[in-house]
Amino acid sequence: MVITQPAAPGPAIRLDDLTKTFGPLHAVSGLTLEVAAGQVFGFLGPNGAGKSTTIRMIMGLSAPSSGTATVLGTDAWDDGPGVRARIGYLAGELALPPRLTGDAILGWTARARNVENRSRRHELAERFQADLRRPVGTLSKGNRQKIGIIRAFEHDPELLVLDEPTSGLDPLLQKQFDDLLAETVQRGRTVFLSSHELDEVQRVAHNIAIIRGGELVLADTVSALRARAPRSVELTFSAPVDKAEFDALPGVQVLGQQNGRLVLAVSGEVGPLLEAAASHHAIDILARPADLDVLFRSFYRAPQEVPVAR
Amino acid sequence: MLGDISRLDLRLRRQSSIAYAVGVTAYALLIVVLYPTFRVDTSLNKLTEGDSSLSALFGATGSLTSPDGWMNANLYANFLPLFVLFMTIGYGASAVAGQNEDGTLGDVAVLPRTRAAVLLEKVATLSLLSLPVPLLCLVASLAGHHWQVDLAVGALIGTTIGVALLGVNLGLVALAWGSWTGRRGGALGVATGLAAVSYIVSSLAPVVSWIHPLRFYSLFYWAVGDDQLVNGLSAPGVAVLLSSAVALGAVAWRGFQQLDIR
Repeated sequence: MVITQPAAPGPAIRLDDLTKTFGPLHAVSGLTLEVAAGQVFGFLGPNGAGKSTTIRMIMGLSAPSSGTATVLGTDAWDDGPGVRARIGYLAGELALPPRLTGDAILGWTARARNVENRSRRHELAERFQADLRRPVGTLSKGNRQKIGIIRAFEHDPELLVLDEPTSGLDPLLQKQFDDLLAETVQRGRTVFLSSHELDEVQRVAHNIAIIRGGELVLADTVSALRARAPRSVELTFSAPVDKAEFDALPGVQVLGQQNGRLVLAVSGEVGPLLEAAASHHAIDILARPADLDVLFRSFYRAPQEVPVAR
Repeated sequence: MLGDISRLDLRLRRQSSIAYAVGVTAYALLIVVLYPTFRVDTSLNKLTEGDSSLSALFGATGSLTSPDGWMNANLYANFLPLFVLFMTIGYGASAVAGQNEDGTLGDVAVLPRTRAAVLLEKVATLSLLSLPVPLLCLVASLAGHHWQVDLAVGALIGTTIGVALLGVNLGLVALAWGSWTGRRGGALGVATGLAAVSYIVSSLAPVVSWIHPLRFYSLFYWAVGDDQLVNGLSAPGVAVLLSSAVALGAVAWRGFQQLDIR
């Protein structure tokens, strides 16, 4: 039986003007963000965007240059030990002592965290088919990652901070991981998940933030983003048409043209587009649902002014 | 002070530390067993006649055929501190900076512990690692009674404590440097360089007049460079070694407070 617990009041994580500099380099600049309790929050960004630096400040591993990271109601840096007892953490670059077995590593972590009940460890090990008896130095990256996941979830923390958690996992285990996340938030826990895998985040997260160059460029719910994301429409005509006419339509951008075929990105109403297509005697139309990848990639690439929505 | 963090660090070094201690003990026993062969070889003392700087550089001063002179020249004034420093400087550089470089310090730092508590366990582990080699050499030296190596037990115990404290101090130099910078290589280099300078000052002080007044700045001098094997560890020596360890521990703590952990 799954016991659903209410999420704790107040945000699980609140970042206020969080900044981290290394000499002249601004790794994170004025990051302000709230992660509501009881959800999966996807934290996206290209490599070097500042995701791991932000996570290290959330975990109290690194002091902010300015601003604050408030985690479960307490300051992550000033009240580190108290708040870390309530967090499960998986580092982006998981490093485990190579000569120890998974059992030894998990046993050590459990003792250090005063976790006496081993049943959850066994349950998770079975679920992910983790080999806990061999030295981790002999395991593949995916099998080591399983140990990291078990360690993060074993003490049933209120908040999980996971940096690239499915790195190295095969698709079947990724599905297991997605299910585990869903069960975790159903029980009132919060998951803060960093990734550069766009597909993974849009699959599991309720809310998403994108960081680029240390700055927040987008924060919104997945459903709102999906509504805003452009649909892909392909029109086929019996003869070539003037693409400028279609480019001028509101919410329409011509992505490509080949003979009588036009590839368009369409956001907003499709009425004007359909009228224009009909006037040119379109012979075929192919429309694809909104793809967040297209939207995400636009935020990943060229710097642009994007209003931050919550 | 020995908690989960200490136990993990000790466990990861268990095999290498045991093998290392066995090797050093074998060397100490060899020195002891060889003593009867050399105690009547008066030509040996020619090495140190006339306050030779070269022999002083190798830690050999005074009579080499006396039990304390033999043990000093072959173990306590040079090799034993070196053996201990390998352990303590190596651990001091690895405990924070090395583990941060290889990414395992984060596993420790995300536990519900204060950084002060983490560092205290690291210092406790460092102190523990400084003990096996001097203690095993103490046992070998005491066993030397059967091979005519008759040393004052009190002085021998004092020297053993001095060597361990020397190891702790220079291990703390590495720990402190690593805690401030997060760089293992720098920690190893600074601690080893300081140990080398400290050794040279202590060993040359008896024979080089301008170095003589500088001996008080050498940790080697307070630990093994002042005839401790005959006179025992002095109270000022204990005070210097303990107070410098406390000061270095405080420097390490301050550095660890601000370290960005991976």
